[in-house]
Amino acid sequence: MDISTMTVHQLRAALDNKELSAKEAAQSYFDRIEKYDSELDCYITVTKEKAMQQAEKAQARIDAGEAAPLTGIPMAIKDNICTEGVKTTCSSNILENFIPPYNATAMEKLDAQDIVMLGKVSMDEFAMGGSTQTSAFKKTKNPYDKACVPGGSSGGSAAAVSADLCAAALGSDTGGSIRQPAAFCGVTGIKPTYGRVSRFGLVAFASSLDQIGPVAKDSLDCGIILNAICGNDHHDRTTSLEAVPDFTAKIGKGLKGMKIAVPAEFFAEGIDEEVRKAVLKAADDYKAMGCELVECSMPSLKYAIPCYYILACAEAASNLSRYDGIKYGHRTAAQAESYEELIIKSRSEGFGDEVKRRILLGNYCLSSGYYDAYYRKALALRQLIRKEYNDIFEKCDVILTPTTPSVAYRPDEKVDDPVKMYQADICTVTVNIAGLPAASTTCGYNDKGMPIGMSVIGRRFDEATILQVTGAFENGFKTVKPRL
Amino acid sequence: MDLNTVKYLADLSKLEYTDEKLAKTAGEMTSIMELMDTIKDIDISYDAHLDNHNVFLDGLRRDDVMPSMPTEKVLSNAVNSKNCFVVPKVVE
Repeated sequence: MDISTMTVHQLRAALDNKELSAKEAAQSYFDRIEKYDSELDCYITVTKEKAMQQAEKAQARIDAGEAAPLTGIPMAIKDNICTEGVKTTCSSNILENFIPPYNATAMEKLDAQDIVMLGKVSMDEFAMGGSTQTSAFKKTKNPYDKACVPGGSSGGSAAAVSADLCAAALGSDTGGSIRQPAAFCGVTGIKPTYGRVSRFGLVAFASSLDQIGPVAKDSLDCGIILNAICGNDHHDRTTSLEAVPDFTAKIGKGLKGMKIAVPAEFFAEGIDEEVRKAVLKAADDYKAMGCELVECSMPSLKYAIPCYYILACAEAASNLSRYDGIKYGHRTAAQAESYEELIIKSRSEGFGDEVKRRILLGNYCLSSGYYDAYYRKALALRQLIRKEYNDIFEKCDVILTPTTPSVAYRPDEKVDDPVKMYQADICTVTVNIAGLPAASTTCGYNDKGMPIGMSVIGRRFDEATILQVTGAFENGFKTVKPRL
Repeated sequence: MDLNTVKYLADLSKLEYTDEKLAKTAGEMTSIMELMDTIKDIDISYDAHLDNHNVFLDGLRRDDVMPSMPTEKVLSNAVNSKNCFVVPKVVE
């Protein structure tokens, strides 16, 4: 039995049937982390001692016949999700030694099921990036080609799942940060509807866009994890009172009669031919399953990148003003003569270049004289994008698009050019702007064997249908594992 | 974007740059703002009512007194603490 390649639902069965113990499952992942993580750089912190204690507790629960769906499942957690007593760095020097005194609500909910946390995984600094190369600590590599990026910002989460260095992981998605790395690393990830999952304890980047979500080996695993982490939370007033259904309930059900919209703009110039072909081939496969393909249009897509970056950076500039080197986080060792100087030096030493650029951009768009031209205009565009999505959903159940314009690339192709990096987010940002749920799963591989991802976007709070649609595709698709 | 504007933004943002880094950042910000300026092509207005009509105030929790986080935990990540946050002298 190869434990590390098992899905969460396969592990559940094996644990419950006593084919393996929670400790054996955890140890098999630690063996792989020891063997492969020095090449892949997924983990910032490995929590073996704590994990083995958790495994013991989980085993007792399993033995008592009281296992929850995630009891004893070895998981990795993105390093911007607060974990009480375990370093949460956000891949930033400014939080290098930050040990949260409390858990994020999503983490509390996983702990309530007695998961086994293997460690904290790398990301772009403060989730600002699409490559995991802005991390101050671990610049994660793509398991399919170590010369390529794993995507980002949840690159550590996606690469760890892809390389079997955990059974599943939590990531977060502000503009595509779960879906894009899931596509680059050949795994499945879902960004839930805004308000589904509490943001309490998620280090804030852009509060009107951020959502925590799962990265896993398939749609069923994503549904199992979503079931655990969703729900209203009195710590986060933006969480919805909407009932939380069983997100796995529709997986395996037929798609006959399902209407899938294919918006032309997502397949236009700027999308690599190999990506376009693979996603359109998937559309044909859906047709063969009995779905109806619906043509549609989203004219506002050409404004999506500036709209997203103005909103996200404006919120980031405000959110990151809390880092002053006084209450927590990096404090300059230099002798500061004044309170002001202490803050300036601490922030300047602690933040990386991309984070600083986004703070400057956010403050520019919010400043007097520019507010109406940029921030207010971006708010207007957000309303237009929402309206266009509403119009499309009048005539379909879900929307199919590529997740990324290209497959994973080498760092030197884009990473040093912020404009190129921003433009690469074109396929994912509108989902966050509109607060919708969307999942990415693998729909093909290019001639070099690099994974290609497709996204399925759903109506607000209809994650169950999204997972039904992605799950149906996965059922007939043969995935190719990376060769480490 | 000229150097003075970037310097002004850096001051607003409580960040400092070397002259060399400031010049590089000004170049990058110019390219970024060219991309952001494409939203000027569309004539559209923001309707604040549309975003705020859905605010519910009837689901608020009761204003109950709850335990606070202990001081020891609150100070656990402060570099310089003597049972309080310590900052350089503010008043001479």
